[in-house]
Amino acid sequence: MRMKGLLWGDIVFQYKYGFYFLYTILTVFYIGVAITLPQSWREKIVILMIFTDPAAMGLFFMGAIVLFEKSQKVLDSLAVSPVKPIEYVVSKLLSLAFISTSAGLAIAMASGLPVNLFTLTISLFCSSCLFSSFGLIIAAKATTLNRFILATIPIEITVMFPAVGYLFGWRPIWGLVHPGVCMMEVCLQGSFVPVAFGILFGWTVLFLFFALAVIRAMLQSVGGVAL
Amino acid sequence: MKPWLISFKRFIQEIWHDKMLFFICLSPILAGVFFRFGIPLLERFFAERLHYGLHLDQYHVLFDLLLGALLPYMFCFASTMVMLTEYDERITGYLAVTPLGKRGYLLTRLGFPAFLSFFGSCALLIVFSSSRMPLYLITLIAFLSCLLCFNISLLLFALSGNRVEGLALAKLSGLVLLGLPAPFFVPNEIQFFLAPFPSLWIAKLAVERKLILLIPAVLTGIVWILPLYRKFDHKLSRC
Repeated sequence: MRMKGLLWGDIVFQYKYGFYFLYTILTVFYIGVAITLPQSWREKIVILMIFTDPAAMGLFFMGAIVLFEKSQKVLDSLAVSPVKPIEYVVSKLLSLAFISTSAGLAIAMASGLPVNLFTLTISLFCSSCLFSSFGLIIAAKATTLNRFILATIPIEITVMFPAVGYLFGWRPIWGLVHPGVCMMEVCLQGSFVPVAFGILFGWTVLFLFFALAVIRAMLQSVGGVAL
Repeated sequence: MKPWLISFKRFIQEIWHDKMLFFICLSPILAGVFFRFGIPLLERFFAERLHYGLHLDQYHVLFDLLLGALLPYMFCFASTMVMLTEYDERITGYLAVTPLGKRGYLLTRLGFPAFLSFFGSCALLIVFSSSRMPLYLITLIAFLSCLLCFNISLLLFALSGNRVEGLALAKLSGLVLLGLPAPFFVPNEIQFFLAPFPSLWIAKLAVERKLILLIPAVLTGIVWILPLYRKFDHKLSRC
């Protein structure tokens, strides 16, 4: 019941502050771009668009969400409520993953991406949760938006570059230990989809626990004292 | 003048502590080096190793346009984030009733950064322009890019209620920059859907080099400022 309330609260928050509106516009825009692309480029560019925007939205927005909650003293209230850190983290991840996955699927379907929709859904969901976990870890430590945005840049480079390289033909087998590469392997329907899927899932769970540890520490120290 | 300088100094100190100032100065230089030297290397690599002609010569003006807009965009974006944080933390309302005033607040947070980035943008284009733009065009492109980025920042601050909305709008405001690549990829008859955006006229001015295009470029810039300033003023009055 508490989880349901938190999740609903996050969805309403994101709706109120225009996330749904924003991603409706961006999805239409990306579909428009995808349709105008030549068939030979379309698959790769669509995968690139999905991976760098809807899937990664948590990394971009989490800073604003958490810093806003800090300034509105929402976290202070949550810290003394029965809400557990895991519920807070899962609620954030699920609510953003819903937007990411829906937008990514809409772009993939409308642009005719030749991919298994079930595996794409699961990998989009995992990627979104992974990026949101990165966002949560950074946001918990950040004090200003500028600092948050700067801190996300190394993460973006680390996750995006090998993945983009893999998409455009740089494909060493050991690259599959990288979460971004795994997402690409699933989207490209390569020969190692089950392995890639397992590794992506593993990274997602690992960073979920990292995020949980960081959020637990943050909630225990809001207001300047250790609870 | 003194309150303006104090306010601007405080803003610079804040982005200095965030390391944002360092990043704002460094990344346009890296982009300039990449556009000026990296792209020709990439073209040669593709031609010699992969036997594939990239032929990016026709896009050198576009690279210059992006380079010209990068510094003002980053500087204004950083100041928008500071302004949104100050608004959320209710500092803006207090600042607006000090001798700084609303106009002083806007000038020190957006006007001064845009003004300073004009010189930076000129310097970047002089050093790294890959299309060898003449000096008069570099000055115009830098000035118009600063005006454009000032507008985008004003739009972000004036239309968003808090930093979450601000960041969502920031993502959407990227669409305002779509006018920059439009003359290179979009047919003429469709380009004019982007006519309300100054970015289209800046790009057309750089491509066609007709000074008459300066008029719509400046006019679209100013037309955006007027309603946005009214909205900004109204927003500060409610603080």
